[in-house]
Amino acid sequence: MPANMKPWMITSLWPKIVPIVILFFLFPLFLDDSALSLITEALILALAGTALNILLGGCGIVSFGHAGFFAVGAYTFGLLLYYHLASFWIAMILAILAVILYGIITGWFVVRLVEIYFALLCLGFAQVIWVITSVWYGVTGGDDGLNGIPIMNSLYSVGNTYYFVLTVAGICLLAMYLMRESPFGRYLHALRDNRTRAAFIGVNTRQSIYIAFVISGFFCGIAGILIVIQLHSAFPSYAGFIKSGDFLFVCLLGGMYNFLGPLVGAFLFIFLTFFICRYTEYWPLFMGLGIVLIALFFRGGVMGFIMNWYRARKVKGGC
Amino acid sequence: MTLDTLFLQIVSGLSEGMVVFLCAMGLTLILGSLRVLNVSHGSVYMIGAYFVVAGNAAVQALPGHFYIALILSTIGTAIFGGIIEILVIRPLYKLEHIFQFITTFGITFIVMDLVKIVWGGSYYTINAPAYLQGPIIFHGFIIPKYNAALIVLGIVLFIGMQFLIHRSRLGLLIRGITVDRMMMSLFGIDVARLYSVVFMIGCALAGLGGALVAPISAAGPGMDVTVLIKSFIVIVVGGFGSLGGALLASMIVGLVNSFGILLIPKAAMGFAFFVMVVTLIFRPWGLLGKPIRLE
Repeated sequence: MPANMKPWMITSLWPKIVPIVILFFLFPLFLDDSALSLITEALILALAGTALNILLGGCGIVSFGHAGFFAVGAYTFGLLLYYHLASFWIAMILAILAVILYGIITGWFVVRLVEIYFALLCLGFAQVIWVITSVWYGVTGGDDGLNGIPIMNSLYSVGNTYYFVLTVAGICLLAMYLMRESPFGRYLHALRDNRTRAAFIGVNTRQSIYIAFVISGFFCGIAGILIVIQLHSAFPSYAGFIKSGDFLFVCLLGGMYNFLGPLVGAFLFIFLTFFICRYTEYWPLFMGLGIVLIALFFRGGVMGFIMNWYRARKVKGGC
Repeated sequence: MTLDTLFLQIVSGLSEGMVVFLCAMGLTLILGSLRVLNVSHGSVYMIGAYFVVAGNAAVQALPGHFYIALILSTIGTAIFGGIIEILVIRPLYKLEHIFQFITTFGITFIVMDLVKIVWGGSYYTINAPAYLQGPIIFHGFIIPKYNAALIVLGIVLFIGMQFLIHRSRLGLLIRGITVDRMMMSLFGIDVARLYSVVFMIGCALAGLGGALVAPISAAGPGMDVTVLIKSFIVIVVGGFGSLGGALLASMIVGLVNSFGILLIPKAAMGFAFFVMVVTLIFRPWGLLGKPIRLE
């Protein structure tokens, strides 16, 4: 893209995106509540996955602990509302601040490491959050979780929650897209492809990763807030190993290198869990198999597959 | 806290640390030589524990059934590791690290559920052999015999591994592929098979660790993640690739964990975690690692 061109000038995108967005806004007109709840869940998961993908596909950095951000957002918001310490919007702002703080503190340690150390340290911090939420029974309800969290009255209807989540998730996705297309996003891609070279051409790699980490966590924490709005509960499993695995799987399934990958992956994931969980309780087994197979054979994920097919078709058509 | 309870805590901490050391030793071997971080190493440890329970039940009637079960479990884990290596890990060597972690992470989920399918979600334990039960009384201090045996065994295995790596032909080959895989294959060494052997040794060590912990702790769900995090802490604190560092760090982590349990039971791991964070701030290359930048 030429230097003087702004992202929203990519006019070729609008015809594809706008109809889909309009469709999403029209869903409540013809879909029933249970379908809407599923889509809401998928949107929240898509937000969390796209947030993780800032690091994963954007920087080439794996984090096994993004559930930590998710849980910090969910529990801060949930606890403030449960104990009537703050009103809905104040609680949301405070939860967002808590997530940013978590990102700044853990990020300071985490960016000092590379690759697997990074990933496992993130896991470690998420485990600390998990321990806090499950041990502090008196405050957080331990493994039973926080239930019956009071939220804004108008959000008790499935349709209103859906619109709220759709709007918030949509704005966040747009923001992440703009960041990806911005110079900063390009720096991240550069240090993904060749960190040494990026450093040599003047990209401050450590600082860029730190910033990306905090931003990624920020959006993941918003997803945590949204899930409390949808389910009125918070559980320690929100900080767990499996939750982080879900986010990672969603990015991998949909395609890490495509912006819409995690979104596609999230919808596929919800679809798959819905059907597989009807027949078996051994969902982690299938998820693990899926992860292994995709990582070995379909590294571009669904979007990668589609893009390759599309490109191959264009070439054939051209000839 | 009296002196003998203090001593008991020290002993139990050290013996727990030894079990983590076995797992971490396998992990650092695989990481150092094959340059793959096997996130599923904790699962291998867990398999070792379940195998020893199953093995013990199978050979219950024979004399020395505990030792037979240990050997069966270690061999079984090694075979299990070999299967994973051939099926899943082999294609990973030439991929970027990100896919190595993600794939082994996926294996963790598979093993976690397979174990639940076969053995269910309950906790299993076995009894140590009769003469290893009970305490040794030493100048008024109580040392549980099994824990003492674990500490001794850990040190023996450490010396054994050092011998293997530095004084045997296999160790020479392993050090060779650590340095330059391509060159080794040009010398006519079957590098792929050697990689499998190294992976199997690493898994055998982890499996042995898991098997040894069955009498004092229990085999159950969740032990894979716990030991993985502890092993990771050990490798970071001890220094990547250093066996001696792993030993030292395991003892530190074991002690910190055991005293942490006295203070806040469920958050005991937080203390070990704190040690890792401190190490990362002041000495990121670990206690006995080479002072290189980790970037």
